[in-house]
Amino acid sequence: MISVKRIHKSYGNLHVLKDVSLNVEQGEVVVIIGPSGSGKSTLLRCMNYLEQIQEGSIEIEGKPIGLIQKDGRFVEMPQKELDKIRAEVGMVFQNFNLFPHVSALENVMMAPMTVKKTKREETEQLARELLRKVGLAEKADMYPDQLSGGQKQRVAIARALAMKPKVMLFDEPTSALDPELVGEVLAVMKQLAAEGMTMVVVTHEMGFAREVADRVVMMDGGTLIEDGPPDKIFSAPDQPRTQAFLSKVLSH
Amino acid sequence: MALDFMVIFEDNNFSALLEGLWVTVSMTFMALILSVVLGLFIGLGRMSKQKWISLLCSWYLAWFRGTPLLVQLMILYYGLAIGLQVNLSASVAGVLGLGMYSAAYVSEIVRGAIQSIDKGQMEAGRSLGMSHGKTMVKVILPQAVRRMLPPLCNEFIALTKNSSLLSVITVSELMRAGNLIVSNNFRYFEIYIGIAVLYFLVNYSISVGIGRLEHKLSVEGRRA
Repeated sequence: MISVKRIHKSYGNLHVLKDVSLNVEQGEVVVIIGPSGSGKSTLLRCMNYLEQIQEGSIEIEGKPIGLIQKDGRFVEMPQKELDKIRAEVGMVFQNFNLFPHVSALENVMMAPMTVKKTKREETEQLARELLRKVGLAEKADMYPDQLSGGQKQRVAIARALAMKPKVMLFDEPTSALDPELVGEVLAVMKQLAAEGMTMVVVTHEMGFAREVADRVVMMDGGTLIEDGPPDKIFSAPDQPRTQAFLSKVLSH
Repeated sequence: MALDFMVIFEDNNFSALLEGLWVTVSMTFMALILSVVLGLFIGLGRMSKQKWISLLCSWYLAWFRGTPLLVQLMILYYGLAIGLQVNLSASVAGVLGLGMYSAAYVSEIVRGAIQSIDKGQMEAGRSLGMSHGKTMVKVILPQAVRRMLPPLCNEFIALTKNSSLLSVITVSELMRAGNLIVSNNFRYFEIYIGIAVLYFLVNYSISVGIGRLEHKLSVEGRRA
């Protein structure tokens, strides 16, 4: 489904991703954990090419995204093709990034109507259905500034789902939320996972990782240092670095 | 000579001033449209990834902001006609001159407003598969327009006031109408106060109008 092969990414002299490879199978839920600055968000953002990479390849269902090889050299793919692949990859951001000038319903409707040119009535029906699915049917006409953080994030999930993506990427979806609002967002994500959505999640919610993930991937210093089922990672990790990280995170 | 404000209303003076006011308002309005359209493109152009477009737009800004409006008007009206045999009518030269000058300032307002929108908005649009242009039109600009309004209000008022310079290229606007009256009756104080009040009324209406528009376009206003 997603195949990341030996990618490198630098900001100037700062080498943030060093030779990272990761495969995600159809229907799999992969949780990426690691200390801040380890490159986990950057890796996720590379998967729909919000971050450019300098080397390596990323494929979504066998189709390359972003960097492509041409005559043996790496070149950026045309924006139009990039847009097409991105339409199949949903992304949920830490800060929601809802469109504040339109209602929740219109937030969900905008992309399908703009990109797929779907009709207003059927798009509205889809949008209302999705808002119901995330438990916000009655908030459809509210504007983002009238919603709580948890509600905003659920609208953002519905907005991403409206494009009927094959993969959903979550970039610390609960990190900006008040503690009591985290649960409602995680519940929606669990439901998605149960329906068989392919998901890659960067999070500090270890409970979620343990319960929902098929695989947990540990990153540190721009490399992927451990990859395994949650039971193993949380109880008996191979790497001392993983152990140290988890003991700090799980101790409180 | 005792002050007598009634001279404003004698000898058809008032209707001459009103005619001048109409020319001022209509030419300012046309210049304003030119300025907004041109300013939008130049502001967007300055952010273009195409080096030559952003360079061209930077030069435009530097030139039109860096030279006096009066000099630009002289070049457009007298300079082009005598030097290059390009004869523009006074009104055309006036609207072009005012509009192109003001567009330089508007372009900076546009650029500032767009760059003030959180970059997460563009990322959200792009991550949904919308193109850069579509995200700009549907997501960024509607939010940016609201932030442009207060500085645009300043610019429109400045434009109205600057239109008094058109009197030197023979446009029969308010300032020129006043000058003509004064040259007959020498009532400098009364007539210029009268003109000032008329300019003030126009500019005050602009600020009230844009204030209302600002409220209407705000998220709170849209809900109401």
